[in-house]
Amino acid sequence: MKILSAICLLALSATLAHAAPDRVVTVKTTVNGMVCSFCAQGILAHFKKHPAISNVHVDLTRKLVLLEERKGKAITDEDITAYIKKSGFEPVKVERVKESFDQAKSG
Amino acid sequence: MQIVAVPSGAIAFVSQLTLIKTLKILLITILLAATVVTAPAHPVAFDGAYQLMIGTVGSVQTVEFYRSYSARAAVGLHSMRFDGDEDEYFAGIQHNWLLKRWNLPSAQANVYAGLGAGLAGEVGNGVSPAGIGFFRADYETRRIYTAIDAKWVESADVSRGVFSASAGIAPYEAEFDQLNTWLILQVEHVTGMEDKLDIIPKVRFFKGPYFLELGSTLRGKLVVNFMIHF
Repeated sequence: MKILSAICLLALSATLAHAAPDRVVTVKTTVNGMVCSFCAQGILAHFKKHPAISNVHVDLTRKLVLLEERKGKAITDEDITAYIKKSGFEPVKVERVKESFDQAKSG
Repeated sequence: MQIVAVPSGAIAFVSQLTLIKTLKILLITILLAATVVTAPAHPVAFDGAYQLMIGTVGSVQTVEFYRSYSARAAVGLHSMRFDGDEDEYFAGIQHNWLLKRWNLPSAQANVYAGLGAGLAGEVGNGVSPAGIGFFRADYETRRIYTAIDAKWVESADVSRGVFSASAGIAPYEAEFDQLNTWLILQVEHVTGMEDKLDIIPKVRFFKGPYFLELGSTLRGKLVVNFMIHF
């Protein structure tokens, strides 16, 4: 009986862990038109206000906007596209990567 | 106590005088705020942004304050002062449009236009209704900058056009959080001014939401432009 309970608990915890992944995800967005940091301030201003985002980095050389999601929260691709467009630029590609935010920042 | 009957026409006349006086005070107040200061043209910023632009280029001083209510349109206040034989002023409201933007992998190009209405006049000679319009096109990479601007102010007493062309290079490619530096040569013509053409070498710096240009016309007139987004 004890063994059965332990198996049930393990199965339950595994199920819960799968339903609410608790890791930080880095999102890489390739953006066209980002040639001037003064003009790209809107990207920072908009994403900083998003409840699912804890960190934003703009890389003009690699034409990337890097986003770090908060634990247990996620930003949708639609939100990313809308925020980039509201800032005056054109999103080209959105991808979720396994690298940490700092690793992605350092290239 | 003596009660004097005042004809209604006289009251209307006094009200009109008061209105003109109030408008004059408003105009002068806006322009006094511009005494240190054609502003750097960034007519539309990002959705939700406020932008303040203050500038003095040769004989033209400008203050502009806009709210971008989308990434393609902004509305706000625009005031200008022309230091000529007769000092002239304009102050009014203006709407700006980003007509077209090309977001390329390593470049951006824009076409803007704007229209406004307000009051203009010569110092000491009253004001009259005025209109303002502008057109701007620019192309920029991280190392090359080019722009053309045209602006018109028209009223019963004031008729001015400001036309300029600029080209610049960045000595290095600055990253997003670094200080950006640009070396720019601007050619400007203001209709009705003594100087037919001003050639303006200037240096542009920006970092974060702050933008500053410093330069001088070849005739020695100061050029200062400041801009901020928030």
